Amino acid sequence: MSLWIDSLLAVLAVFLAVRCLLAPTLPQCVFLFFAFGLTLALAWARLGAVDVAIAEAAIAAGFLGVLLIDALRDFSRSRSTGEGGDRPSRVSQGLVGAGVLVFLVVAIEAVWRVPNGGGLTALAADNLPQSGVDHPVTAVLLNYRSYDTWLEVGVVLMALLALFATGGREYFCRPVVRAVDPLLRQVILLFTPVLFLVGAFLLYLGKTEPGGAFQAAVLWGAGGILLHLGGWPVFASMAPWLRHLLLTAGFGFFLLLGFLFMAGGGALFEYPLAQAGLLILVVETLAALSIAAALTAIFAYFNGMSAESAEPFTPASS
Amino acid sequence: MNGFFIGVCLFLLLNICLGLLRVWRGPTVADRLLTTQLFGTTGMAILIVLAGYLGELTLLNVAITFNVLAVLLVICFVQVWKPGKKGGKA
Amino acid sequence: MTMTNLFTIILLLAGCFFFLGGTLGLLRFPDLFSRLHALTKVDNIGLGLIAAGMAIHIGSPWAALKIFLIWLSTLLASSTACYLVAKFQLGRPSESPEVPAK
Repeated sequence: MSLWIDSLLAVLAVFLAVRCLLAPTLPQCVFLFFAFGLTLALAWARLGAVDVAIAEAAIAAGFLGVLLIDALRDFSRSRSTGEGGDRPSRVSQGLVGAGVLVFLVVAIEAVWRVPNGGGLTALAADNLPQSGVDHPVTAVLLNYRSYDTWLEVGVVLMALLALFATGGREYFCRPVVRAVDPLLRQVILLFTPVLFLVGAFLLYLGKTEPGGAFQAAVLWGAGGILLHLGGWPVFASMAPWLRHLLLTAGFGFFLLLGFLFMAGGGALFEYPLAQAGLLILVVETLAALSIAAALTAIFAYFNGMSAESAEPFTPASS
Repeated sequence: MNGFFIGVCLFLLLNICLGLLRVWRGPTVADRLLTTQLFGTTGMAILIVLAGYLGELTLLNVAITFNVLAVLLVICFVQVWKPGKKGGKA
Repeated sequence: MTMTNLFTIILLLAGCFFFLGGTLGLLRFPDLFSRLHALTKVDNIGLGLIAAGMAIHIGSPWAALKIFLIWLSTLLASSTACYLVAKFQLGRPSESPEVPAK
């Protein structure tokens, strides 16, 4: 009976993905993508991967959503003034096609060889008592494979650095819009603490149940973006050193910890058993703070950049 | 009882599929934005029903995540698409 | 069939009915303002009914509290969203499709 819902979700996900790519106009594409995100979140929930479902919900409905809506406005402006995009050349089309083909072959091969014994699940579950946390996904992310997680935190930081390199350093202190509507101000002021609270809840929950640093980071970042949209840029009120500390704290503390363990004679990221739980919580909190700050800065950069490049245009006649 | 829950989930999913028609037709971006609200509310309902059906109460946290983020898109839309205000110094 | 199951079924069916109403309104109503009306009011009742039904079915106070908070915050978010979108659309032509300003 539940086969029906699974097959409907599967068909819907593929249909939306194809539809989204082939949509004739950009707004259709963007909003179909939101539906695609919801379908994926439901599919993950149905598969029992609640961690991924929360991450998908937070990223697709939250961070990607605001980025896409901001981008949509820029594109609809440039299109209305007649600047169209060029068609990609034959060579780049061929390269993209070849890349997709290789990816498909690798993916099919990986699915083909899915281990029957459930892979490393049993191993992960066996070592759970030594990991300091009670939830296997958190244990994998922040203990067994913390090297990967450390690099993932670094990737977000790298994205921000790339933006800074293209001249975005001053943007994120400056609000482009201000909330004048009293109701809007109240809603922003109400929902920002709620977002921070739910983020903290998910972060703490990560120890025993699905949740964790990345989900919390997106929710905190959403809070920062909300404040930015309301005309309270979070970074403007901070001293520059504090801002930079906030952006790098997660990556830096992770790295410092790794070196301290190595200096103590262990392997990189080999947590001492007694303090593992506490250390993981601290690392997660700092990583979440850094990622949230980076996400806010990325959104503020794009928002400010599009305002800068926009020709001064006339207000609507109202 | 379980069959009934599955039926409700299916029905709500089909609701989402119907809502896709509005995404397709538009005509304004605001119309399309409305469908995200539909997806959010219906998605939460599906997640709540699934949580009860599967007995997996952590799914409620997914619903909470959708819930607190639902208003962000609308606020972003009205603030970013505000005419005239976005000229920066203008 | 126990009494709680009966309640759950009735509430869920009523919720589905309201969801269907909201979706049909979104599809059939002629302009943005009436669509807003259909969506942000009717769907919230639907969600409330389904939430109440599932809270009875799950029967744990902690889950019920969470479900209630989800509903409460949806009410807040969606009525504000309705107001914001309506105010945004006021004073601009309803059929000027994807051009942001003017």
